[in-house]
Amino acid sequence: MDGTHFLSVAILLSTFALVANKRVRSYIRTFQVQSALVALGALVVGTEHFSDRGEWDLLVVAAITLGVKVWAIPRVLLKAHGQGEPRREKDFFYNIPLLVLCCCALTAFAYFAVLGNGVPADRGASHLINAVAVVLMGLFFMISRRFALGQIVGFLVMENGLFVASLFAAGGMPFVVDLGVFVDVLSAVLIMGGLVFQLSEKFHSLDMGKLRKLRG
Amino acid sequence: MRTLMELVLHLALVLALAPLPGGVIRKIKAFVQKRQGPSLFQEYRDLRKLFRKDMVISDRASWVFFAAPFVVFGSSVAAAALVPLLPWAGGAEFPGDVFLVISLLALGRFFLALGGMDPGSTFGGMGSSREMTISALLEPAFLVFTLALGLQAGAPSFGVILRHAATLGTAVWHPSFLLLLFSLILVTLGETARIPVDDPSTHLELTMVHEAMVLEYSGPFLALMEYGAAVKQLLFLTVLAQVFLPFGNAALAGMGIGGVVLGLPLAAAKVLVMAAVAGVAEVFTVKLRIFSVPNLAAMAFIAAFLGFLNLMVFGG
Repeated sequence: MDGTHFLSVAILLSTFALVANKRVRSYIRTFQVQSALVALGALVVGTEHFSDRGEWDLLVVAAITLGVKVWAIPRVLLKAHGQGEPRREKDFFYNIPLLVLCCCALTAFAYFAVLGNGVPADRGASHLINAVAVVLMGLFFMISRRFALGQIVGFLVMENGLFVASLFAAGGMPFVVDLGVFVDVLSAVLIMGGLVFQLSEKFHSLDMGKLRKLRG
Repeated sequence: MRTLMELVLHLALVLALAPLPGGVIRKIKAFVQKRQGPSLFQEYRDLRKLFRKDMVISDRASWVFFAAPFVVFGSSVAAAALVPLLPWAGGAEFPGDVFLVISLLALGRFFLALGGMDPGSTFGGMGSSREMTISALLEPAFLVFTLALGLQAGAPSFGVILRHAATLGTAVWHPSFLLLLFSLILVTLGETARIPVDDPSTHLELTMVHEAMVLEYSGPFLALMEYGAAVKQLLFLTVLAQVFLPFGNAALAGMGIGGVVLGLPLAAAKVLVMAAVAGVAEVFTVKLRIFSVPNLAAMAFIAAFLGFLNLMVFGG
């Protein structure tokens, strides 16, 4: 099925677009687009499974992705970003081309990491490489942003990468595992969201650099 | 002797067609703005007018200022000679000519930038500095693009690349080709000074790039500069059209002289389709802030690089 190949590459590209974003609001929006692509992927694979074997669990997963990652989480993040008084919108401290080129190197590393471990170079390996690159770039996104929201988005991108890896390379995980991961992610975002609210109330800023003052 | 004839014919065609895509883009923009717009052949008239005019030349200008228009025009035409309009009946070609094309374009750009700085006007220097910043990131993207296709086709030569693309047919709609397409579109927009990077119709000094460099030129020199830019635009549009719209090429290749007669209008139509796409894209985008252009160029580079990796590891 070629559609999944396109989607896998599109998700990788959307991660690059995410890293290239400068503003908090725009990277939350890009995350939303990426999650929509992930939901579409789940829908495509799910339809295939449904017509082949009558399994409907991936369709439910697609619906949950749409509800949680496309609608609920971006909403919470935008709300957290919207509260609090004058805020610096821009959130990057290295220039964008440098960040993007670092991510390019991470993608190349993903190629070596996957193919160097004896995975045959076929369509499945291509999906796996793209997904591993998304996970690595999510981690990189977390450490390259200063605001707390960027770190939440980076975490969610990593999660998207893991989900895409299981979806495209292995045809999805058991339904219970998927549900468990969703509950996990949702609760993690709620806890992090709570922390972000606390941070912005205590320090009037989401700048993680200011937390250094807490060191003894 | 025959190849020489072909080469001369090819160059004559390139020179005759070069100003047309610019006219098409203008016309599309005019239609969207509910204007009738200038005729499709306005660029030809502009060139004719400029060639007849006198020149005003700064007394600070050195020989570089006088050499630049000829080098810019000559390098564009020489590069265009190596990119066949019709992949199966092209001009000159040899294995590795993509490097020559890229270095010829770089030579042209180098002299364009020098010509901008030579008369000592501030705008010229500013334009040159910007052009160099942008091209430093766009050039590697184009290089990686040509290498990816060249290695896949068997030799890094535009003739070979375009002929290989002709055999692919609908297989060009493959994710790694789409990455390369995305990259080449960005490179084309940047190299031909189209809208997200540079606005060819602006004369607002603070936003100009290409226009700022040729600001001191007038008359025939300006005409040579603009003609050179048009030839370069045709070169990029040809690559774009023949690699990503290769339909019909494989059938026409076997038809000898008939294939050439039928192929030329088809090639011209494809180039104009690509120009129309550029025009429509231009309608829906705004010019980027100059400091954001390197981000666009970085995206062009990574798209080309990912396409390259994908093609090398997994094949077409």
